[in-house]
Amino acid sequence: MDIFTKGLWLITGSWFIVSMFKDKERTLNAMKMSKKMMGNMLGQIIGILFLIGLILTFIPPHVIKEYLGGSNVFLATIISALVGSITLIPAFVAFPLVGSIVDMGASIVPAVAFLTTLTMVGFVTFNLERQEFGKEFAIARNGLSFVFAILIALVMGVIL
Amino acid sequence: MMEKFKKNKFLVFVVLIYLVLFITSTEKAVLSVKNSGYYIKEMLMIMPVVFLLTSLIEAWVPKKVIMENLGDESGLKGPLISILFGSVSAGPIYAAFPVCKTLLKKGASISNIVVILSAWAVIKVPMLANEAKFLSPKFMATRWILTTISILIMGYIISKVVKREDIPMEGEEIEEDTILIKEEYCIGCGICEKLASEYFRVENKKAIVINNNIGNGVENKVQKAKEKCPANAIQIGTVKRTKEKHSAKTIKEV
Repeated sequence: MDIFTKGLWLITGSWFIVSMFKDKERTLNAMKMSKKMMGNMLGQIIGILFLIGLILTFIPPHVIKEYLGGSNVFLATIISALVGSITLIPAFVAFPLVGSIVDMGASIVPAVAFLTTLTMVGFVTFNLERQEFGKEFAIARNGLSFVFAILIALVMGVIL
Repeated sequence: MMEKFKKNKFLVFVVLIYLVLFITSTEKAVLSVKNSGYYIKEMLMIMPVVFLLTSLIEAWVPKKVIMENLGDESGLKGPLISILFGSVSAGPIYAAFPVCKTLLKKGASISNIVVILSAWAVIKVPMLANEAKFLSPKFMATRWILTTISILIMGYIISKVVKREDIPMEGEEIEEDTILIKEEYCIGCGICEKLASEYFRVENKKAIVINNNIGNGVENKVQKAKEKCPANAIQIGTVKRTKEKHSAKTIKEV
């Protein structure tokens, strides 16, 4: 557990204890509401977690590495952005991976596109986002994130 | 049973893929389950606390506070708080969904919700440290600045494109043009009775709906009562939200 997760537990935990003392009924009522909302999401989330496992089996990190280091920078950037959108790999795997290919002399543009879509665009979470925030919101946010990820990558390629 | 399947279409779909894979290539299926292990652990560490957090926001943070700090009229304060809040929070993006949904319900603007969601996903302090270590501090700082700017612009654009009515809310289960009072929220203040006495009456310290048929002319009155309700307990069903719902789901008159 990283420090921020611990912090969140600590703050929320203390708030919860205070809340229970202050007004037990109110707290439990709110929890009932939350339970209903989260219950609707839970099936989806479990599906998402197992889908990530599947995707990682078929697009493992060493394959991603090949895409990132492609010789045609333009094509490599688009593919990297797409791969980043589909996969969800943890930061402690992603940064060393990207670091190693940048050290090898590959262009940073595909690397940045990949890193940015990795977290900002969620192919696997899209269905859940649509359910909770509506089709319009989910399409707009993921679509724009994809476009901006490529813009960020291009600007970084120019200034770094 | 069918209802359950329908509700969890996505999960059923994933399970089916696993079944097929298990038959055709057991090895790959086992590997996939193993790969999922890390994410399941991550989920178990974060979702209980997110559940508590949304409950506490729901129970204690007044609508007014959210509207002032994250609402449409929050000015520059809104995006700033959103960036900070998203950055210091923990967990993957799906953990942000329930929190953002609750904030949205309490009056946060769409643009600020986009900022919180995106910052929650992308800007993580432990991740930034990792990035500086494996790439370079300069790389990390440049990407951070560019990402923050992009997120703010995205929030602005999306708030222009997506309307509040596009976002499914609890109200989707109410029949069109009818009123629903969430009893557990009503504090019996009587404001609704004062504003629209033809529709609401307070009995036994809870407001009840005495006329559920909103005509066009007086609808504003009910709308006003809904907005003024300090507990945010009044819901009005609209045509748009119910368009995809079947009748079995609509709630009977209160």
